[in-house]
Amino acid sequence: MKKFINLLKKEIKELITIQLIVSLVFTIVLFYFIGNIARSEMGKVQGAKDIYVLNLDNSDLSGEILRNLAFANFRINLLEIKDKTLAIDNARKNNIPLLLVIPEGFADSISSFQPKEIETYVLIRSFSMGSSINSELVNQIIVSINNYLSDNILKTKVPNISPSVLKNPIKNKSFIVIKDRIAEGSISDVNNFVVSQSIFIPIILMMVLVFSSQMVLSAIAMEKQDKTLETLLTVPISRNYIVMAKMVASGLVGLVSAGIYMIGFRFYMGGFMGNVPSSTQINEVVQKLNLRFTPNSYVLLGISLFLAILCALALATILGVLAEDLKSAQSASFPLMFLVLIPYFLTIISDINSLSPSLKALVLAIPFTHPFLASQNLMLGNYSIVLYGILYMLAVFIVLVFIAGRIFSTDRVLTMKLRFGRKFRS
Amino acid sequence: METILKVKNLWKSYGKINALKGIDFEVREGEIFALIGPNGAGKTTTLRIVATLLSPDKGTVELMGYNVRKDSDKIREMISYLPEEAGAYKNLTGIDYLKFMANFYARDDKEAEEFIKRGEEIADLGERLKDKVGTYSKGMVRKLLLARALMIKPTLAILDEPTSGLDVINSLEVREIIKSFVKEGVSVLLSSHNMLEIEFLSDRVSIIDNGRILETGTPQELKSKYSSRNLEEVFRRIVAQ
Repeated sequence: MKKFINLLKKEIKELITIQLIVSLVFTIVLFYFIGNIARSEMGKVQGAKDIYVLNLDNSDLSGEILRNLAFANFRINLLEIKDKTLAIDNARKNNIPLLLVIPEGFADSISSFQPKEIETYVLIRSFSMGSSINSELVNQIIVSINNYLSDNILKTKVPNISPSVLKNPIKNKSFIVIKDRIAEGSISDVNNFVVSQSIFIPIILMMVLVFSSQMVLSAIAMEKQDKTLETLLTVPISRNYIVMAKMVASGLVGLVSAGIYMIGFRFYMGGFMGNVPSSTQINEVVQKLNLRFTPNSYVLLGISLFLAILCALALATILGVLAEDLKSAQSASFPLMFLVLIPYFLTIISDINSLSPSLKALVLAIPFTHPFLASQNLMLGNYSIVLYGILYMLAVFIVLVFIAGRIFSTDRVLTMKLRFGRKFRS
Repeated sequence: METILKVKNLWKSYGKINALKGIDFEVREGEIFALIGPNGAGKTTTLRIVATLLSPDKGTVELMGYNVRKDSDKIREMISYLPEEAGAYKNLTGIDYLKFMANFYARDDKEAEEFIKRGEEIADLGERLKDKVGTYSKGMVRKLLLARALMIKPTLAILDEPTSGLDVINSLEVREIIKSFVKEGVSVLLSSHNMLEIEFLSDRVSIIDNGRILETGTPQELKSKYSSRNLEEVFRRIVAQ
């Protein structure tokens, strides 16, 4: 054990280089910086916004529109000018972001069912989020006023029937069924909730897998490139210990690196998303459907993630033996990256159960698919699927470690080489 | 002198290429035994097999009665191998590298300290031992690696081209270090294509070419037998036959 600890310490010292530390610090600073900019931009969007209004109507209705805009956190700036062209010119010259023109006789035109158009001018200086969101907000307010007006008209014309019945004669209710649980609610809201709760799991998993495997690949490739492997293989320590020390050190450094990147990533995403509280209604639906992680779910998810990391490390160790140096280690990592990215994207963009049986079998044969599916399956209460995935990954890990151990205990560790480059050249 | 290493009928091939075609030799206790021959003769393959890095296709290698195939763990405790193009871990300091290696061989902390102290003396790098290996010149790295190989006083030190790539001064120093350690009971199996170096260092030599041992003896015996002034001439005459 003392020899193993000696080796592990060396592996960690070799992996934690100045370049790695600088890269991690730089990433954190960069993500923090971008996140802050995004947060400040979002703050501007969510805060009081200036809108310049050329009100040529001055009716009760136009006053109602302006009150609604003020209620939606717009700062109303009424223009003294009484000409549309001049107002637009003025907006151009003074960098006015949003201009609303209410035409003369607007209220009368509505009453006579020959409506005049309200015009919105968005002056674009950049294609930032703010410019489009402001314009969308104005449109939404106009839609609300339209509803308000049409309801009033319908009430006057057909006083005995509710305007909502007239406008939407067909009513519907949505229910979501999960196993024996049923709740009334919108599937898109529930989907959004589940995604918001578990969006970080596949990202964390992908980053940890990619980092750890690249670490172990580099560790082996560096031994070959720096001509230290031959010496290491002749010292009195079990070859299995050499493999394990590389895997454990790479796993630890990969985990820490991915953790640091994730902190940076949270700063970054936090800037865009902020802390959006979930509504009481969706909380009730989620409660009824029991879509929450239980302590058992967390344990199973942890085991699943851990085994996926072990599988990636074992596979990377085998691929690392094929690499002659750091450059070829990058080529050797491609198959592993594909095996991680395929299930990552599939779980994000598609439902694996909807794939054809052969394709589904192929995707499930990739050990890294299982932890990507685990979080959703655990929420849905499909514990047996998660357990099968865990057992499958354990079996794959044992086989891969056995292969890695065999390679390291024979002279293949020195004689196996990546031939892709030579084949391409020939 | 007792024979510590016995190599009998050693064969090794890489695909269709036969690197070794029945090699036989022995190394005795406290001697420097050298394999000399041109590039591709089979020297490094032989040393790698003795160092437990490669498995032979046929034949036996025994160190102190332990078989290289069956008892590789035991053999690794008794040997120290310096490959021709060896490097050291660039992120470690010289002293950390010696500590790292000493901890594999030492039975306790006291013995590890002894190994490290000896390693510092052999390397003779002074304060530079506290610097990272990545900042060392090629000669400094080679001396550090030689110190690593000899500090544990192995039963058999296996040195592949020990002065490879070194300048004259560093080569002389390395040769002196090797000579002095044999006096302390370490046996050495080395390879080189530098015949003059071998003549200076070795007690006995085997001339190897194309995977076969062509002749074995002391440098003096070989020179007399082939009426030559030095080993280079001996080698030329043997190959010409």
